[in-house]
Amino acid sequence: MSKTLAPIGIAGGGSWGTALAQLIGRHGHAVLHWMRDSASVLEVNTLHTNTRYLPDLTLSDHIVATTSLKELASSCKLILLVIPCHSFRSVLRELGEHLAGDHRLIHASKGFEPHSFKRMSQIILEETCVRQIGVLSGPNLAHEVAQGQPSATTVASNFPAVIEEARLVLAGPTFRVYGNADIIGTEVGGALKNVMAIAAGLAAGLGFGENTKALLLTRGLAEIARFGAHWGAHPATFSGLSGIGDLMATCFSPLSRNYRVGLQLAQGSSTEEITTTMKQVAEGVNTTRAVYEYARRHDVYMPITDGVYQIVHEGVGPHEVLAQLMDNNRFTHEDVHGWS
Amino acid sequence: MDSWKIHQFNGERADIVAEVIRRTLLDTGRNPEAAELAINDVAFQELARLEGTPKHTQRMRAWTDLYRRLGKRSPAEQAQILRQLTTDYARDIVGSFNPNVYRFATSIIPRGLSLLFRKRALSNAPRMEELERRIQVRGKIEELRQLAKIGTVILVPTHSSNLDSIVLGFALDRLGLPPVTYGAGKNLFSNRLVGYFMHNLGAYRVDRRLKNELYKNVLKNYSSVILERGFHSLFFPGGTRSRSGAVEQKLKLGLLGTGLSAYINNILQNRPNPNIFIVPVTINYPLVLEAASQIDDHLKAVGKSRYIIEDDEFSRVGRIWSYARAILNFDGHMVINIAPALDPLGNPVDQAGRSLDPHGRPIELHRYLLTEGVFGADARRDAEYTRECGEAICRSFQRHNVILSTHLAAFTLFELLRVRHPQLELYRLLRLTANETLPIDLVETVTLALRIELLGLVAEGKIEVSDGIRQDSIEHVLERAFGYFQMYHSRPLVEQVGEEVRLVDLKLLYYYHNRLAGYGLEKFVKAASVEKNTRV
Repeated sequence: MSKTLAPIGIAGGGSWGTALAQLIGRHGHAVLHWMRDSASVLEVNTLHTNTRYLPDLTLSDHIVATTSLKELASSCKLILLVIPCHSFRSVLRELGEHLAGDHRLIHASKGFEPHSFKRMSQIILEETCVRQIGVLSGPNLAHEVAQGQPSATTVASNFPAVIEEARLVLAGPTFRVYGNADIIGTEVGGALKNVMAIAAGLAAGLGFGENTKALLLTRGLAEIARFGAHWGAHPATFSGLSGIGDLMATCFSPLSRNYRVGLQLAQGSSTEEITTTMKQVAEGVNTTRAVYEYARRHDVYMPITDGVYQIVHEGVGPHEVLAQLMDNNRFTHEDVHGWS
Repeated sequence: MDSWKIHQFNGERADIVAEVIRRTLLDTGRNPEAAELAINDVAFQELARLEGTPKHTQRMRAWTDLYRRLGKRSPAEQAQILRQLTTDYARDIVGSFNPNVYRFATSIIPRGLSLLFRKRALSNAPRMEELERRIQVRGKIEELRQLAKIGTVILVPTHSSNLDSIVLGFALDRLGLPPVTYGAGKNLFSNRLVGYFMHNLGAYRVDRRLKNELYKNVLKNYSSVILERGFHSLFFPGGTRSRSGAVEQKLKLGLLGTGLSAYINNILQNRPNPNIFIVPVTINYPLVLEAASQIDDHLKAVGKSRYIIEDDEFSRVGRIWSYARAILNFDGHMVINIAPALDPLGNPVDQAGRSLDPHGRPIELHRYLLTEGVFGADARRDAEYTRECGEAICRSFQRHNVILSTHLAAFTLFELLRVRHPQLELYRLLRLTANETLPIDLVETVTLALRIELLGLVAEGKIEVSDGIRQDSIEHVLERAFGYFQMYHSRPLVEQVGEEVRLVDLKLLYYYHNRLAGYGLEKFVKAASVEKNTRV
């Protein structure tokens, strides 16, 4: 019942990569899943599980795992990249040796490259010859998607055929795919919501309720949109699934990694303690630093990100930062329509 | 020289026109509805264009008539009208190439003119061979020569003057590179003599007043057909001359896209040398002939400038004469910089014509044009590739822009003015009437500091500079720039009064300054002037 002959490639064996593989496999498409860890490859190919990331899940038998990027490139025309931002470039550089103009790459990595502050789509264009690229982003908690709960995502690309192919392999009875042409806005929304998720976790950890959370989300979105506009994103993108949608899912969910970072910080743990005990990467920690540094250099007003940065990277107490943020002398009008 | 492809142009002319008509009708006349829509669009656009011009009432009546009765015509009649319109457009566009006229224009005219000047003993008359020496060509000249042999080249220059195509054509000839065919605005043909030369030197006519889709399709098909037949071409991708003086950062993509369609058709038809190479070129003038009328137009309504300026300096022989004299009077150069070639997707190309990826690895271009393994055109995909190619051209313009003394001096002066009046926005700054003066030693110090930063950017490959800026003393750089500023334009841009520089024409200073804007150098002017003032 496979709709396309070539298998769909997935690079990255974390929870979201595994959930996407499962989604595609469940639709009857062959999936070739690249992961670095050979023990995980063996587990996927023999036991059909990936217990490290999605322990309760039995994987579709359409999924085959490999450790070879060369095999991934030679077998697949469409490859989804689900790789942590800090190792994105090195994987793409190696993969780039085997790619050609008829490949399509869609990445689902939410964050920026440390130091250079580049977006993942920029890295793809720098490291590979592939032009037909896209970004997948939305309110997609991996285990919920893997369980088949109704959800949806956004695929942004300047090539309509990329969106169409993503829809063809991903969309199904429990999953919708929306398209847009704003790669920058979609990437910025996905990256910056992780900063807001840390803030939401902090608020919850300090015992605050729904008003505070709504305040954070609303002003957080304004901050994200302001940052996106600085880079040329379309403002309307932030009211879509990859903007407000992803922000809500991440900030409401006690299961999101970045939210848990915030929660534990509020309970008195240090950033170092938290990141060393977590088995998955919380992108928000690095994104906070990157966004903070960029915004300072380019004079973009980002008060919540500033606050999170002080707590996460400078060890300032949450109450002190909160007092700064609530200071009524600081800023008094919403930059909504008419106030820009 | 006789082996140049363009010598075959007149022999192929009838076939080219026929092919353009055939392709256009294949698309537009594919069914009666499409034909009716196309004619309807032509009539509507023509009526909109002619409206309110009393001398055109007769033509208006004809179009109105066509427009009203179109629905009542039979499909056969409509097809006939469409064929007629298409044929008229194709015949209006098509150029010609006359080798005799070419030889006459490139060697006999210049020689004759110099002879004439010398005989008349006009001591201040421009001498052709000296004018020639004032044109410096640099960059990838050999690569261009190679690529012109193994594929079809599209030159895409920056555009700041109507002299561009003449200067570039002249330079190509002197380098022994084949002539190119190019689209020139129909208004330039209105001068009988200029028109005669342009028409016989491979230029084709582009009527920019015509906005209808049928005309645009005929034009695109014409461009694609001549590229496929191996005629090297030149497009000004900015569409019109840069009004602000800055290097183009926004391009018209319509004609550019014909490079990709020509490549696709070449592959589909299995032609021997299918590759199309896009070669960005920057043309850098110490003085721009039409600077005054262009910056006026730019400032009148930013972004709403007139597309065609009919009555500018190019149409006045006296202005061209004094321009040539000014250019000859100083030791600066017009610099034509040939940038590395790109493929129609904007990938870099090596000397053997192979496309390269960002790491310099060879890539197979045709694989970008496969859909489900099948090679062919795809309008939306190809439009995006062309857009990305346009971005690559803009990046190339930015990097291969050659800064000359006048640009550096104008940048220093104008930015110093901004530092002095930080509260004034651009339009108020330009309206300052009280003569602003700056101490010459401040100007020298800041220019010196700026040159260091500029050479830093050059080392990073982000911009280029003239030999003069690199080698000469700052005093000499400024002296040359001020000399240019005082010689050609109707009033001097600056005056030196003792130890002071008086800024006279702020608009033109702004124009020449813009060539260096956007590289992040503004902050250094401020820093250098602050440092200087604290030391004083």
